[in-house]
Amino acid sequence: MIDWYFSHIVLIQSTLTTLLLALSVQVPLRAGVFSFAGVGCYGIGGYIAAIGMVHYGLSTATAILLAAVAGGVVAYALGLLIQRLTGLYLAMATVAFTLIISVLVVNGGDLTGGAAGLFGALGMLDTGHLLAVAAVVVAALTFTELGPLGRRVEAVREDPELASAMGINVARYRRATFAVSGVLGGLAGSMTVLLRSTVTPDDINFHLVVLALTIIIVGGSRSWIGALVGTVIFVWMPEMLAFVGEWEDVVYGVLVAAAAVYLPGGVTGAVVDGYRTYRRKRRETADSPPDAPPPQPAAAAVGGDS
Amino acid sequence: MAQHILNAVALGSVYLVFALGMALAWSTIGILNFAHGATFMFSAFTAHVVTQHVALPMPAVVLVAVAAGALIATLTQVLAFGPIMRRATDHRSAELRILIGGIGVAAIPLAIAERVTASAPFGFRGSTYQAQVFEIAGLRMTTTVLVIVVAGIGIGVGVWRWLATSRQGLALRAIGVDSETASLMGVDRSTLALGTMATAGALAGLAGALLTFQLGAIAPASGDQLLIKAFAIVVLGGLGSMGGVIVGAFVLAGAETFVLAMNQGTWVDAVSFGLIFAVLLLRPQGLFGRKEVRRT
Amino acid sequence: MVSGTVEDVGEARDAAATECVLRAADVAVHFGGVKAVDGVSIELTAGRIFGVLGPNGSGKSTLLAALTRLVPLTRGSLEFEGRRYDTVRPHTIAARGVARTFQTVRILPGRTVFDNVALGAESAGSAGKAERSRARQRVRTAIERTGLAGKERHRPDELSYGYQRRVEIARAIASEPTLLLLDEPTAGMNRQERDDITGLLGDLRGEGLTQLLIEHDVQMMVEACDHLFAMNFGELIAGGEPEAVVRHPAVQEAYLGTQGRAHA
Repeated sequence: MIDWYFSHIVLIQSTLTTLLLALSVQVPLRAGVFSFAGVGCYGIGGYIAAIGMVHYGLSTATAILLAAVAGGVVAYALGLLIQRLTGLYLAMATVAFTLIISVLVVNGGDLTGGAAGLFGALGMLDTGHLLAVAAVVVAALTFTELGPLGRRVEAVREDPELASAMGINVARYRRATFAVSGVLGGLAGSMTVLLRSTVTPDDINFHLVVLALTIIIVGGSRSWIGALVGTVIFVWMPEMLAFVGEWEDVVYGVLVAAAAVYLPGGVTGAVVDGYRTYRRKRRETADSPPDAPPPQPAAAAVGGDS
Repeated sequence: MAQHILNAVALGSVYLVFALGMALAWSTIGILNFAHGATFMFSAFTAHVVTQHVALPMPAVVLVAVAAGALIATLTQVLAFGPIMRRATDHRSAELRILIGGIGVAAIPLAIAERVTASAPFGFRGSTYQAQVFEIAGLRMTTTVLVIVVAGIGIGVGVWRWLATSRQGLALRAIGVDSETASLMGVDRSTLALGTMATAGALAGLAGALLTFQLGAIAPASGDQLLIKAFAIVVLGGLGSMGGVIVGAFVLAGAETFVLAMNQGTWVDAVSFGLIFAVLLLRPQGLFGRKEVRRT
Repeated sequence: MVSGTVEDVGEARDAAATECVLRAADVAVHFGGVKAVDGVSIELTAGRIFGVLGPNGSGKSTLLAALTRLVPLTRGSLEFEGRRYDTVRPHTIAARGVARTFQTVRILPGRTVFDNVALGAESAGSAGKAERSRARQRVRTAIERTGLAGKERHRPDELSYGYQRRVEIARAIASEPTLLLLDEPTAGMNRQERDDITGLLGDLRGEGLTQLLIEHDVQMMVEACDHLFAMNFGELIAGGEPEAVVRHPAVQEAYLGTQGRAHA
């Protein structure tokens, strides 16, 4: 067990930081906001943490905190700017925002280290710290998924007009998701960089956007559990697909495409749907004997209601 | 100066052919194909593999790439997008799943090409084609550039006019504006979708062959970059406007060439990203788009 | 707009005596060149059921959307409990106590009946513990009153259309509104279900809830409403006592006229 832990420590840590990155895209998506601003804030957070440690000698905790706050503020401001966009247009505007950041840091001179990036930003971080941050984030998100808040978020996603007719300030919810995704992106980026000690402009690329999105779609977009399932799948897949050797990327592509076609709710969605169907069947078989006496018309009436 | 303009026109022609395919599928059947870049790359790659075995002349190489592009896009439609469109309950989830499906599909040809070439750039060295350099009015020009510009502008204007005037074009635009009316008009959506995707794929293949001829070689990863540039072009021109795509392609190529000419090479990519951002912010319907055509 | 069509005989006295809940003056909603609603003025007084009658496409639903701020006004003003609200956003007026149902059923597909009704009950309140238990109580009451008891844990796709419509109504009344706007609440229901719903609306009126009902079913409107408005081509063509409005020549023309055309 201990041996396994130490030989897989990089994968374990990267599971936790990737989870935060995936959540930074999932949180807005859950409110119907198709935004990748969190991925841009991952870059911003990574660079702020590295700059803070390399140039200003900040402590690990201060650097991470600063990165999270900066991510939240930048994403919120971006949200104010582009709040009228929806769907794919919003998605691509935020992709553009993310990629512009990578161009900016290439041209950032000594501050960002240009194309070579920054080195020597090794933070005092271990798996325990990452677990603690992930646990706090997950607990907070659970609160937004359950109960009244969860219902309101769902209404904002499924039917914004209905939501506003229910007295919900839709625009405010949307802006809030921008801020939350920025904070999560900032956390993920700063912790990734401080674990690796380096950051380069190439770390902020289109593939990161693709990774975050595929994790959520394959895992499930409705709950942090889906993000966790997806993260585990994609972070550990190279390890699990070792047997297919060089064709790993082909298998990856096939799996993602198949998930898009056959699993609209992702892996978790499929499991939840399966359980629900099972429970409904059980309830129907349990209910029908007392409720529906033998004559057929009564059974038909019951059927008509369902 | 004139040389820069010529470069911009050649670059813009390749952008145009590529973006036209993407715009065609997106504005009519509502598919934003994220595998369009991979289709572009793998078509050129297929032609590359063929030329390694058979010394083909330029038109044959182009033909191979076009056929490969059409085939890849058709397969994508049959195996991924078609099933998604049939199964999706609402527009928004279909849009998202088509995006993801495209991403998944794109990973497959990319992985194959990267494995075969070990991620190194590939070209058409096996082709019998040799570029001729000549001068017109003091401008140095190759036959490759001439072919690209003629093909690019010819096809751009051709598709634009075809869509605007022909019966099939009208049917396609009807689907883009209002799929319900289109089905009342007796337009068979799935057949049209297949034809559109094949055409879009053929255009991607053509762009792949042309760019490879011009640059000598392209890398397997070049498809993704082009994808975002094409998005910038479509957004700038306005979704639903093929004339807008023509203008957008040359504006982007011109702006990028200008940035390069000013020796600001590290900012080149910011042009397309900045353009996407600025257009969506200031004029979401693009230069020539009409508001009602816009899909959200 | 109503002037010179039908006199509010015997009602003017009541209207003056009771408080005016909602006042819409010269409301117009144009979409491009289409005048969906054009110069409509209505006043809703407390504790009565009002109805807007009109053939399909006469602008009833657009009027409701305008009253709930879901579409912008081209012209005119809106006032709720004496306060102008023609520039506020829709969630604000909803939070002030205007609840509505939709013509097409709009319920969250992945949620149970309870959750959907709770959406209406909770939005009004805050997250306090006492408030949450009060909200639960409101949900239960709304579910009982709309005949949904026993179906709390069902999901929308397990319900018949009539029951889905009941969820719409339950969600609206669970917010305990001051004014309830109902867009064809009994569409797709059978006779028995329709009577249940009109009975419920009558009970709610007894508790002082002001209601505005939209329907094209003339008979039901006459039975359910205290006061009718009739619309056609985006304009009010009559207003007053139900029987009188239905007999009004312009209303007869609007209904028989369109029906005549439909049969021809």
